[in-house]
Amino acid sequence: MFNKNPLRKRQYIGSLIGIAIGILIYVLLPLKQNEDFLSLGPLNTGHEGLSCNACHTDAKGNLLQQLQSNISYTFGLRKTKADFGTENVDNKKCLECHDRPNDRHPTHRFLEPKFKDAIANINATECETCHKEHNGTRIVLKEATFCVNCHYDLEVKNDPIDTPHATLIANEQWSTCLQCHDFHGNHIYSVAEKMKDTIPLKQIQEYLKGGKDPFSSKKKHLPLSEEEWLKMKQKYSKTK
Amino acid sequence: MKTLKTKGILFLSLAISSLIIQSCGGVPEDTSISAPSDKAFAVAEVLTLIAEENDITRTLYTKGIVGAGKKQGLKFDEDWQDDEIEAGPLPALFLRGISSDIRKSDVPLGLYLGSDFPINASNKFQGKQAELFEKIKSTEKPQHFYEEDQKLYTSMFADLAVAAPCVNCHNDHKNTTKTDWKLGDVMGATTWQYPSDSLSVKEAIGVINAYRNGTKAIYNAYLEEIAGFKIDSTKPQIGDKWPSKGFYLPTAEVFIDSVRQLASYKSLELLLGSKSVASN
Repeated sequence: MFNKNPLRKRQYIGSLIGIAIGILIYVLLPLKQNEDFLSLGPLNTGHEGLSCNACHTDAKGNLLQQLQSNISYTFGLRKTKADFGTENVDNKKCLECHDRPNDRHPTHRFLEPKFKDAIANINATECETCHKEHNGTRIVLKEATFCVNCHYDLEVKNDPIDTPHATLIANEQWSTCLQCHDFHGNHIYSVAEKMKDTIPLKQIQEYLKGGKDPFSSKKKHLPLSEEEWLKMKQKYSKTK
Repeated sequence: MKTLKTKGILFLSLAISSLIIQSCGGVPEDTSISAPSDKAFAVAEVLTLIAEENDITRTLYTKGIVGAGKKQGLKFDEDWQDDEIEAGPLPALFLRGISSDIRKSDVPLGLYLGSDFPINASNKFQGKQAELFEKIKSTEKPQHFYEEDQKLYTSMFADLAVAAPCVNCHNDHKNTTKTDWKLGDVMGATTWQYPSDSLSVKEAIGVINAYRNGTKAIYNAYLEEIAGFKIDSTKPQIGDKWPSKGFYLPTAEVFIDSVRQLASYKSLELLLGSKSVASN
């Protein structure tokens, strides 16, 4: 075969090297110790050490089935797309570990029609609007002044703080909200009644970037660890 | 000749790979969306049914648990889940609890409570909901519409002051925005949303079950809260008796059973009267 054209030999070796590299990538990259190479960026605060497949769980069906379903979808032969490779990471996935009965701002609350103007500014129906993963931070927003979108006309009766809420709102001091109020309401702490005793803005900003928690070290509900989540998943799949 | 051969090989390999992919079958589609031929109810019918069940549940909770329970010394508070507060959920928060639990299920049903004079400012109607609520206040009739932006079929139903605790608590609340509520007033409206214009019998039953499971979940959360009360004498006896008989609370099963007894006749009538069931 190589006698006819010596170039064939180079093509042949090249192809073999290509196939070998392909197989190596296919086998080595998915290994747990190589997850860092696949990751789009550092995991967010609290998620350090999670495996990829804690969030990127395997999609239903095998690759050929997924391919077939998506080709059918492209030609209008089925109504919905099929996840390819891994499942889409959405709210439901986040809530498998982070669901809490006392969430003050659960994402589904913002699905109500009256919030449509607010969610046009900040889509609070999706966890990832604030907590987009692979950014090595706690929240990805540049400024935490989002309360204005819903609470712009807030009126507080029997206002307990020395600088009234009406004054803070009139002065558009929306960055002060988080100095007292924990957005998801999971910390156990007492709220200051004097502005000087509130959490300094700088500490809040550092916290949002992934720094120390200034509200409290005590929380009402803790999220599931990866091990707890796995146990729960196994238990659920057994009872199914 | 050579090009023809290459084309032939290419065509053959394409045909074989298509055959392999096709023979695998696809990933099964989510069956929560029924075929059009299975559709038996208009969405407004099902939302009306479930809104009526909600009225029964809320009235039972407000009168039978909150009203009667307060007389026995039980407390109800908007911050009922706070550690330092030993209380149960107020009726509006009971509904919020049901709504949250429905959202955790696979049934795409939305439930919200709003008013023009809410205690919590975030429950104030705005835009189209505020306009339609004015109509509801004058006619007490439900409003059904398609929410274009969200692509959701939406129904709003009057929420009436059905019991003395509704009126008294809202008039006396420290953050109230209206102090002259009286029995029978339209205090607010529930808003219900569903993504399709019609439902199969299976989907309609799914909606009813999601609502009932939500009721059970929030009621159980209340019972769990009671279990955590620090002083034993503040914990009512939980069993088959209601607060009207003494310092008792019914179990979640007893509570749901009462809702079923009151609501099931109407629900069953609607389900049996559907086109697909009637034609069988």
